[in-house]
Amino acid sequence: MSYCNHCRVHLRGKSDRCVLCGNALVNATLPDTEGEIFPDIPLAVESHLAIRILVFISIVGAVVSFAVRMIIPSSVNWPIFVVLGLVSVWLSLIFIVRKRYNIHKTIVWQVTIVAGLSLFWDWETGWRGWSLDYLIPSLFIAALLVMYITAKIFRLSIRDYLFYALLSGLFGIVPIAFILFGWVDILYPSIICVAISIIFLAALFIFEGKNIKNELNKRMHI
Amino acid sequence: MGFRVKAQREIEWTRLDNASKIFPSTYSDRDPKVFRFACELKQEVYPEILQEALDLTVEHFPLYSSVLRRGMFWYYLESSDICPLVEEESHPLCAPIYLGHKRNLLFRVFYYGRRINLEIFHVLTDGTGALQFLQSLVKNYLFIKYKNENTSLPTSLPSSAISRQMADSFDKYFSGGNPFAIKKKNIGKRKGNFNHVYHIRGARFPENKTRLIEGVMSARAVLAQAHNHHTTLTRFIAALLVYSIYKEMPTRKLKRPVVLSVPINLRQFFLSETTRNFFSTINVSYNFQAGPIDFMAVLKAIGEDFEKELTQEQLNYKLNRFMHLAQNPFIRVMPLQLKNFLLRIGSRFADARISSGISNIGQIVMPEAFASHIRQFSVCTKARGIRVTLCSFGDKLVLSFTSPFRETDIQRNFFNMLTEMGVDIEISANL
Repeated sequence: MSYCNHCRVHLRGKSDRCVLCGNALVNATLPDTEGEIFPDIPLAVESHLAIRILVFISIVGAVVSFAVRMIIPSSVNWPIFVVLGLVSVWLSLIFIVRKRYNIHKTIVWQVTIVAGLSLFWDWETGWRGWSLDYLIPSLFIAALLVMYITAKIFRLSIRDYLFYALLSGLFGIVPIAFILFGWVDILYPSIICVAISIIFLAALFIFEGKNIKNELNKRMHI
Repeated sequence: MGFRVKAQREIEWTRLDNASKIFPSTYSDRDPKVFRFACELKQEVYPEILQEALDLTVEHFPLYSSVLRRGMFWYYLESSDICPLVEEESHPLCAPIYLGHKRNLLFRVFYYGRRINLEIFHVLTDGTGALQFLQSLVKNYLFIKYKNENTSLPTSLPSSAISRQMADSFDKYFSGGNPFAIKKKNIGKRKGNFNHVYHIRGARFPENKTRLIEGVMSARAVLAQAHNHHTTLTRFIAALLVYSIYKEMPTRKLKRPVVLSVPINLRQFFLSETTRNFFSTINVSYNFQAGPIDFMAVLKAIGEDFEKELTQEQLNYKLNRFMHLAQNPFIRVMPLQLKNFLLRIGSRFADARISSGISNIGQIVMPEAFASHIRQFSVCTKARGIRVTLCSFGDKLVLSFTSPFRETDIQRNFFNMLTEMGVDIEISANL
């Protein structure tokens, strides 16, 4: 233990300056047998280099495409699509990174974002109906499958993903509206999607009804 | 997925107690709502024994194996199978524990040299509850370590029934009936407009690190000084802190009062053995322009503030007002995200109304057989500004200053005032 003559206090631990007044400590009166009281904790240097590189590439891509179109004019305003494409990828990526600790939440978010983006792109490129005809129904089926497989791989307990399974099951029923309102020309993807979802939800309610009730009680308590 | 008929363990979950509701909404890197208790032994800590003791202790504190989760309207605690792991100290002081996305336990136990440290997210419990946990942990540790040498060590487990320990004492004692119906006769006005309260400023450490300066001194000597000044320990230390802050105040800011926030353990006013949160806070203040610049005057004014705030009537009024708000049906059905937003604003306003804070955990008592293995207990917390926390064990009073600022003038003033009164002090610091 050393002693500060200015503050007239003893100082524990190995230090050559008084933490109170900053003056140098002249004497170590007692041999220090105690050891340190607190460890040195280094700064946590977080490097987001990969993300920075991706941001840089995105900006370069957007700038170059506009520059190229100005030099070589074309009738289609394709640089806008480049920018929208980049925005879509980033939107998707941001949610994957933010929700990465909960895989089922990620799936629900991705399904919502990709479904929304596909509608937007379909509409933007002259509404040929591919989003409602094929993409959205297959997306919902894929979500259910991926959820089932990941739950098995990571050996998740049913209550960890019940809420999200319920949500994606309910999503899967939405294409019934496509058929009823005549929004789709090709019927079979929507029919398959709705059928699978109804079977899936039935199984969920029959076998996990009590858990669903508990889960909802828990999440919705006021 | 959903096809297993096998019976599953019932989902166990608990609502947050009324004081905890604010913490998950308002925690941040600068103010993680985490506090630390440390027990310094006389011998090096053995991690394997500590792990064994921790496993044993957690069994008797079931709430400690909970994780915090988000519901639609409120956060809640859900039981988990996660086993706490003992580590060597590697996090900055009171680093955030709840991270929102990870399902982890709301406390950590780690060691360094001779110290056993416990850091807890305030959602789980307050200082009194955490201390019970640490005391059990230390008893179990010492029991396992010395059981072969010394049979006089009793195993000691918490006495209160687990159900009662987990009760939300706020619900029990405060109806939340219309608080405005209560006569306002002796009810003190809210201290200080937040625009005019003095705020300590300084250069911050990188990564929002906090500097801890611990002063160990004789409890008897400091208590004698407090008695010489005809006051109690908490009031004496509070007055010393206010005066130390004053010494660093620029003259043009003297018109702003120095306000300290003081948490009050409600277990001493209302019968309760809960291991969850059961506290309230009061504010005490001094205005150096309105009153004389003299330590005795500060001491007197602070003492009067304590008297005024610490009446059963005043506490009832405050807590009923709080419960009235917490039980308001409009607030209850507000989506969690909106609640978070509003609570965050509210907590910034509350923080703006104080200059600093002081918290006295009081005397920590351990059975004789264990006490001989323990050097001292200490407690500290991390907040937006400077906080002083103190506790005593035997004759060792440990005063911990935590500060996000590099400047140490207030701390130096504070300890110098004590040394000038003839108190011998040992200082240690983490940065």
